Amino acid sequence: MTDSEHLLRVRGVAKRYGSVEALRSVDLAVVPGEVHALVGANGAGKSTLVRILSGVIRPDAGEVEVAGKAVRFRSPAHARAAGLAPVFQDPAFAPDLTVAENLRLTTTDAGAFRRQLAALGLDRVELREAAGMLPLPLLRMLDLARVLAHDPALLLLDEITAALPADYAERVFEAIRRARDEGRSVLFISHRLLEVQEICDRVTVLRDGRNVDTLNTADGSEQRIVAAMLGERAALAVTEPRKVAPRTHREPGEPALQVRGLSDGHRVRDVSFTLARGEVLGITGLEGQGQDELFAILAGDRKAGGGEIVVNGEPLVARHPHEAIAHGLTLVPSDRWQALLPQRSVRENLAVPLYNSPGRWGWIHADRELHLVADAIARLSIDTRAQAQAKRLSGGNQQKVAIGRWLVGGFTTLLCFDPTRGIDVGTKHQIYDLFRELAAAGKSVLMFTSELREVPLACDRVLVLYGGRIVAELPAADADEATLLSSAHGLADTLTESA
Amino acid sequence: MSALASAVRPLGPTAARLGRRHAWTAAVVVFFVLLLTWNASQTRNFGAFEIQTMLASTLALAYVAMAQAVVVIGGGIDLSVGSLLVLANCLSARFMEGTSFGGSVLVALVVLVVIAALGALTGLVISVSRIPDIIVTLATSFVWGGAALFVLRTPGGGAAPEFQALVLGSGNAWWPALLCLLAPLLLVWVPLRRSRAGIAIYALGSSKDAAFLSGVDPLRTKVIAYAVSGLLCGLAGIATTAFTGGGSSQSTIAINATLTSVAAIVLGGVALSGGVGGLIGPVFAVWSLYLIPNIMLGLGVDPSYGEVVKGVVVVLVVLIGGQLRLRRSRSP
Amino acid sequence: MTDVKEEAIRDEGAAPEASFVARVAAGDRSLLALIGVLVALVLANGLIDQSFLSLSQLRNTLLVTAPLALLAGGQTLCMLTGGIDLSVAMTATAAAYVTGVQSAEGPVTAILAGLLVGVAVGLVNGLAIGVFRVNPLIMTLGMSGILTGLLTVGSQTFLGGATRMSDLVLELGGGTIIGPIPWNLVVWLLLGGALVVGLRRTGLGRMIYAIGDNRVACRLAGVRVWQVETAVYTLCGLLAAVAGILIGGRSGSVDLQLAGSYLLPSVAAAVIGGTSILGGIGGYTGTILGALILVVLDTMLNLLSVDEALKQVLYGCIILVLAWVYARGTASA
Repeated sequence: MTDSEHLLRVRGVAKRYGSVEALRSVDLAVVPGEVHALVGANGAGKSTLVRILSGVIRPDAGEVEVAGKAVRFRSPAHARAAGLAPVFQDPAFAPDLTVAENLRLTTTDAGAFRRQLAALGLDRVELREAAGMLPLPLLRMLDLARVLAHDPALLLLDEITAALPADYAERVFEAIRRARDEGRSVLFISHRLLEVQEICDRVTVLRDGRNVDTLNTADGSEQRIVAAMLGERAALAVTEPRKVAPRTHREPGEPALQVRGLSDGHRVRDVSFTLARGEVLGITGLEGQGQDELFAILAGDRKAGGGEIVVNGEPLVARHPHEAIAHGLTLVPSDRWQALLPQRSVRENLAVPLYNSPGRWGWIHADRELHLVADAIARLSIDTRAQAQAKRLSGGNQQKVAIGRWLVGGFTTLLCFDPTRGIDVGTKHQIYDLFRELAAAGKSVLMFTSELREVPLACDRVLVLYGGRIVAELPAADADEATLLSSAHGLADTLTESA
Repeated sequence: MSALASAVRPLGPTAARLGRRHAWTAAVVVFFVLLLTWNASQTRNFGAFEIQTMLASTLALAYVAMAQAVVVIGGGIDLSVGSLLVLANCLSARFMEGTSFGGSVLVALVVLVVIAALGALTGLVISVSRIPDIIVTLATSFVWGGAALFVLRTPGGGAAPEFQALVLGSGNAWWPALLCLLAPLLLVWVPLRRSRAGIAIYALGSSKDAAFLSGVDPLRTKVIAYAVSGLLCGLAGIATTAFTGGGSSQSTIAINATLTSVAAIVLGGVALSGGVGGLIGPVFAVWSLYLIPNIMLGLGVDPSYGEVVKGVVVVLVVLIGGQLRLRRSRSP
Repeated sequence: MTDVKEEAIRDEGAAPEASFVARVAAGDRSLLALIGVLVALVLANGLIDQSFLSLSQLRNTLLVTAPLALLAGGQTLCMLTGGIDLSVAMTATAAAYVTGVQSAEGPVTAILAGLLVGVAVGLVNGLAIGVFRVNPLIMTLGMSGILTGLLTVGSQTFLGGATRMSDLVLELGGGTIIGPIPWNLVVWLLLGGALVVGLRRTGLGRMIYAIGDNRVACRLAGVRVWQVETAVYTLCGLLAAVAGILIGGRSGSVDLQLAGSYLLPSVAAAVIGGTSILGGIGGYTGTILGALILVVLDTMLNLLSVDEALKQVLYGCIILVLAWVYARGTASA
């Protein structure tokens, strides 16, 4: 197929955020009248690619061609004018404006919009209602209708069926089929491989910021897609030698953490698990399955709607992280910008917990502080050359500082959210080793990770979170990536109770 | 689920919807009417004269409140509205002195253009520099204040008496002042509100992300919002010239006006976070704030306590309003 | 999709080179540079008017700087947490009023009463800002208005009459300990020293910088941010009260305009000294230099018979330029 017959051609696109390479080099080709899926594990680069294609951010390298012409999008409006229209998970509606006013912003023709609404089976929607008053699933449908009303050449749908009730999802599929019949194309980002099989013509798999495979869904299969997502290193990773043997026996006495029937009335439905003392427990799952909310609740940053949390035998109802921390439950956040004091030094960053209550506001005991800080730096091998301001550290070092803070402050259970995301392999292993040491010393670690291959390296057991519930529990030795990924997609129902 | 069901049934909720959108404004209007009734009952022969006094003496502050409302709706805040008022006041007073009616009108028009331009410049600086609105306008408030001092070292200047009458009405005629208030409202704000540019202002204040994705140009929108605000501040300054028959560059006037504008918009239903509110609520709030010291006088209380009451009311409303909005946004 | 535009902006500002502007703004503020500017200004003044370098003029300079530096100190604390306090001038005036009125009860009681006013105002500000999350600018602006109203009424009623300061206050405010060194300098040195040391060597000092730098991270690290904010604004109110008492002591009597002209310079001194208005970076040492620079600059402008108007315009421009420099510096890091 010649270049001019492609609707969209992406060549060698790359994007870097500081020291993190979100996209290394991606090639993608979409032809007119095609539904093309884009899949990959968390952090593979799907969202970044969509944002580049919709004009939200600019790539560092590479070319994008629309209908044979090279383009550089300056803004979302520019991309829309070129025929590329995204629908993101957060609908692009200003909540205080009415739907009608939001349509005026994008100069959407009201008649065309109503026709699209009717095609989606939603023609009784009140357009003069404030967008913020409408429920989220409905808003996403309206976003889709709005985008369709502009006659786009290429629809970019980012996890459109996530959090949509089944009947809405069905109507979305019909709309996608209609679009294809009209000669439009759809770039369909999804975690749900069953949907991809059902609706898409071709699939491109991203892994670690690169495209690794493109196949027709007709002759492809879930296994092949999953294998492409994992790559060949999967086999190697499991056979890597381990420095510290995994713990197989449980510490006597109260478990470090017991969670029963936890829910928040939203994404967290019904989560129950037990974390033993001296154990490293992994949790894994796709984006948006409730893990962010779960960790926020455990850390005391958010209130639970129902269920209970018991820490070292004592029930915990925290209204502020301070209370969780007082029970020894500390959080290393997912986002480094939530953990670091960017303009302060490494020492100040590490020492924050030492002064976090009025009783500790007095004179700083410099020797004690130095001792604790130096100890944490040594244990984590933190490179302190960029001493003056934490924002100058590399991603790996920043993450170590975020963890090191609790070595200084003390804890019994460490909650880590994606602790090794975007970090080089060497640093990753340092962190796994640290977790093993902490466990050997009687501490506990609850670690959410989207990097499946690290589960057997770091954890004793692993839980799989799907739809706000724990759907699988496996000892680390049995936790190969294919099984985990399948459970995470809701494909297989493997509930293996360990002894 | 119920919200979804009701959104799809267009009957019934129309009244509820309108009610939700205009509830606060309605409340302020009611509040004002109650205060007015109270004040009227205290005053013997309450009539056209009292109405005229109220409208004339609050005209400048009403303009300033509207100016602040436009900026805050767009997601910003302007601490220099008072200084722009003072600058406009000094400029117009200095150059209207000794002119004819036509001359005064011409001066007024030029001053309006100048102050609106300064407003646009402020919006431009904010957009380009990425410094928060609050700090840029804090800095410019001193620059405009200094400029006003330059124009009029000591209070002075004047205005053509016919011009004063045009703005404030002669005798007991209260409708000129009201007309002056309605003019920018009907001629500038209403068309703007309905236009894409006006919707963009609300969008920017409501959600920067959604606005950006919807193709709103943040620079253009900010400049327009601040330019309109500048225009209203210019009107405020000219109204002050007409009311006092001169100009004064005292900084206390500026600070007072800025504080009152913030108080008025908060009372008038404009959310400090942006995207919510209109210009009518703040005007009624200004009138209500004006009546409070009068009522206290009628009750035999020192009217200076009125200043205290105003300050307390503002803080309480911001406090409670903030808590309400915080609570609403926390629910998932 | 957390903050689409934020990410785009964060992404755009990733310039690798560090220009002088970026380095200055990034916190490598050279106090030496400030000292250099100060020395240059002093010498310039000396050239314009010989008598500037005399002992008596030096004493005058210090007399004016001390209360300004105290107000700017309180302002520094607030700005470090990412806030601001526009009520410091009226708080100072209120404290001076109360001290004056209470002077009949004895100097110590009078001073304590004045300080109590500062603490009370600061506490109210701090609670509103910390617990109820009222915007600091709005809250302190409102407080300023409330105090103005109370003092206007008060000066005619309960605060009227005897606003003559007691001798101790007069001595502290305007007296001299020896040579060019006024008493208020001693007060300032004690409190200023406590500020500098406190910010660097106490847990509270660390927390002040921390919450100004990243409020969310502090919360997740167990800091109850409202406590720190309340403490900060209370301290600011206290410092404002001390400043007001000193100013009142120097002038001998109190009026509503006592401290009004100190508000803007208190902010400017902190900004010049390198404290970012966005929080998390800066310190009192720089503020002290900033205050001195402002006073000497003011003297110079007076010697050159520069307009009050032009002075104000200059102040506004200084704040704007510096805020721009800092904004660019933090973006390109």
